Amino acid sequence: MLSNRNTNPLRNLGRHFRRRRKACHCKAGDCIGLDGLQSGREALVTCNNDIKTIERGLYHGKKVMSQRNVAGEPNIVVAVGDSRYVLDRRIARMIRVRLV
Amino acid sequence: MSTQNPVIALAGNPNVGKTTLFNAITGAHQTVGNWPGVTVERKEGYFIREGKRYEVVDLPGIYSLAAASPDEKVARDFLTHSKPDLVINIVDASNLERNLYLTLQLMELKVPLLIVFSMLDIAAQNGIEIDFDHLKSHLECPVRPLVLTKRFDAGQLFHDIESALDREPCGATVRYDEIVEKHLENISALLDEYKKEKAWPEAWNEIPQKWTVLKLMERDPLFHKELPFEWSEAVEKEIRAVETHRNQSSATALADDRYGYIRGLVKDVAQHKTEAGSTFSDKIDRVVLSGVWGLPVFFVVMYLVFLLSVRASEPIMGWLEDGITWLMVDQFGALLRGWHFPEWISYLLSDALGGGLATIASFIPPIFFIFLSLSILEDSGYLARAAFIADKFMRRVGLPGKAFIPLVVGFGCTVPAIMATRTLESRRDRIFASLLTPFMSCGAKLPVYTYLSILFFPKHADLAIFGLYLFGIVMGMVFALLLRKTLFKTDPGNFVMELPAYHMPTFNAIGLHTWHRLREFILRAGKVILLVIVAVNILQGLSFTLNGQETNVLEIAGKAVTPLLRPMGVPHDNWGASVALISGVFAKEAVVGVLEGFYPDSSAIPGAFGGTASGIAFLIFVLLYSPCAATLAALLKEHGWRWSLFSFFYLTLLAWIVATVVYQIMTFNAGSWLWLGVSAALVLLFIGSLNLMGKKNVVES
Ligand SMILES: Nc1nc2c(ncn2[C@@H]2O[C@H](COP(=O)(O)OP(=O)(O)OP(=O)(O)O)[C@@H](O)[C@H]2O)c(=O)[nH]1
Ligand SMILES: [Mg+2]
Repeated sequence: MLSNRNTNPLRNLGRHFRRRRKACHCKAGDCIGLDGLQSGREALVTCNNDIKTIERGLYHGKKVMSQRNVAGEPNIVVAVGDSRYVLDRRIARMIRVRLV
Repeated sequence: MSTQNPVIALAGNPNVGKTTLFNAITGAHQTVGNWPGVTVERKEGYFIREGKRYEVVDLPGIYSLAAASPDEKVARDFLTHSKPDLVINIVDASNLERNLYLTLQLMELKVPLLIVFSMLDIAAQNGIEIDFDHLKSHLECPVRPLVLTKRFDAGQLFHDIESALDREPCGATVRYDEIVEKHLENISALLDEYKKEKAWPEAWNEIPQKWTVLKLMERDPLFHKELPFEWSEAVEKEIRAVETHRNQSSATALADDRYGYIRGLVKDVAQHKTEAGSTFSDKIDRVVLSGVWGLPVFFVVMYLVFLLSVRASEPIMGWLEDGITWLMVDQFGALLRGWHFPEWISYLLSDALGGGLATIASFIPPIFFIFLSLSILEDSGYLARAAFIADKFMRRVGLPGKAFIPLVVGFGCTVPAIMATRTLESRRDRIFASLLTPFMSCGAKLPVYTYLSILFFPKHADLAIFGLYLFGIVMGMVFALLLRKTLFKTDPGNFVMELPAYHMPTFNAIGLHTWHRLREFILRAGKVILLVIVAVNILQGLSFTLNGQETNVLEIAGKAVTPLLRPMGVPHDNWGASVALISGVFAKEAVVGVLEGFYPDSSAIPGAFGGTASGIAFLIFVLLYSPCAATLAALLKEHGWRWSLFSFFYLTLLAWIVATVVYQIMTFNAGSWLWLGVSAALVLLFIGSLNLMGKKNVVES
């Protein structure tokens, strides 16, 4: 039997894997990744599992506008409420939005 | 009544005006700038009112109490562990929703709170109207709206602080989703039971139970590790119930609920009069960030910065130097001699010191214009945009675009530049960016550039200086590519960077900002240069006889090093140049002091160096070799001794190789082959050793 001291790290490791950011999936195909939102278009966030961007205002139901999205560039610029962010494409891809 | 010397912490999102307020109430001159991440460490100050001393702590900006980068950790740890007597939460009124997210967390932490709203002018400009009384009644917290950049009623603010210190923490609480609340209560009940059976963890003593419950719900490892297995597992069950119900992680569920609460609140108390996406900043960004104009605008801005820094200062530089030479050396010297002072005193006072002052005067104009353009760049808000545009090039060399900001800061001074890398999230990026900052010629190298460029290229000094800056950047990129291929093979970390609203730079703010930096720099550099001149004069005077020859310490040290510098064109009898380089490791501007000390008549310098080629090689060496002691110390503090040593050795080696190659090619003769060969071998050694280190994986990705 493992002692408490040994189970703790193991347990945290297990949680770490379980907690790994789940990518959002679209069920009916009506949503796209935020990285696919063309410049000038608006959309609503339908799913975001990245706490860092949620805390910066990209929470479920918030309206976002893409200000610059040029294919091939590593980042996009989005407007969320009164904030403007440069967002890494790798993060943006995880965020699902529905066009409005 | 509150404690004897109350501690007041300033907390808030990045770039909301915390440091502006800090400077206003403590009279300090900490750096402010219109980009997120100006303050990266705790800054302390105080003010005294009615005989009572108030300690004030300025903190780095944070978006929430879950910290990711080192600067954010500093702020979070202070707020959660140090128990300040009052937290002044500065809230950007032009970005209410996101700022209130942190406010809510501070309220949940139950710290005594005073909310100061800043940027009222920007909010008004964006058509945002806020009913502060209404907001106050909702939050049950004292609030004070202010425009921090204009003169404000400090008395009123002190009164607010005084009364907030005596208040209970704010009353409002967030209501989470019903199911979430139920499970939060379950966890709370579990903790109550736990309290009865076991020893309550010491770390939780000072924290409200609700906060502990929330942190456990968020699966904060710092909190979970305090609980024994069975208990932690019981908590885990509650968390999983919430996650199944919400179909998202518990932490994101809580964050969503907080925003739900804030959204309702903001709808109630604030009105947007104008359409979203049509602010002043948006209009500018439509051009500045557009696919077509973005890049041209970037280059034009960078060109203007250089033009202003180098070209504008050229004429003033000459006048100042001539003026001071005339005043100190000619007039003052004649006066001293007229008064029959001993020759050595009048020499030291007028020629050595006067010459030194003239030298210092000659670099004031360019450094003034560099600081001025940096201030304009920083205060306008363009810097963050430039970082975005530069991202394309930065990625090529293996850095995230955000690292552009520390590099630009590096043109002022390398130490704050290294500190500024704290805002980068991955350790790899922080180290990588820090290693590149010395390539951006700092203000202290400029005196060396101006001093020698005027001597070697009297007609084109400005172009020579510009060339050196550019050469530094190019070499930085080459070095970066090399590091990317060897040490830092992984991809740069991802990032989210806020673009601040543009502020019309006010004459006052820019002027003050530039003035404080300039004064600090001139005082420091001036002191170093003058002290070094005097020290060199004294040390040269203290000669002794060795092996039948009269010599002094400097000569011995200089002559010992000079053979190493021979291949890059430092002749044997110019050992003063070697002494200059050694002293430059302590502070770059000392190079000028030493040369000035050795060659009071500076027109002798080109002759002593033996030509333009060795002058250029010397300048290149100064540009590239080991960073100064303060920078090495900063590297040591931020990344450990290994990186500090790395920077010292590799940059010096690089400088030697480049300077030697340049000198040998410019003065090509049969003997050059030898040194070119040695350089080539060293290049192989250089790359080989980097490769080896990369294989050993010294920077864990
Ligand atoms: N228009 C306007 N500008 C302000 C106000 N308060 C601060 N600023 C400007 O906002 C910018 C940011 O101010 P700082 O004091 O550096 O902000 P900070 O919160 O310390 O930022 P970090 O250290 O990066 O977290 C500066 O350019 C200030 O001049 C305000 O009330 N109105
Ligand atoms: Mg600050």
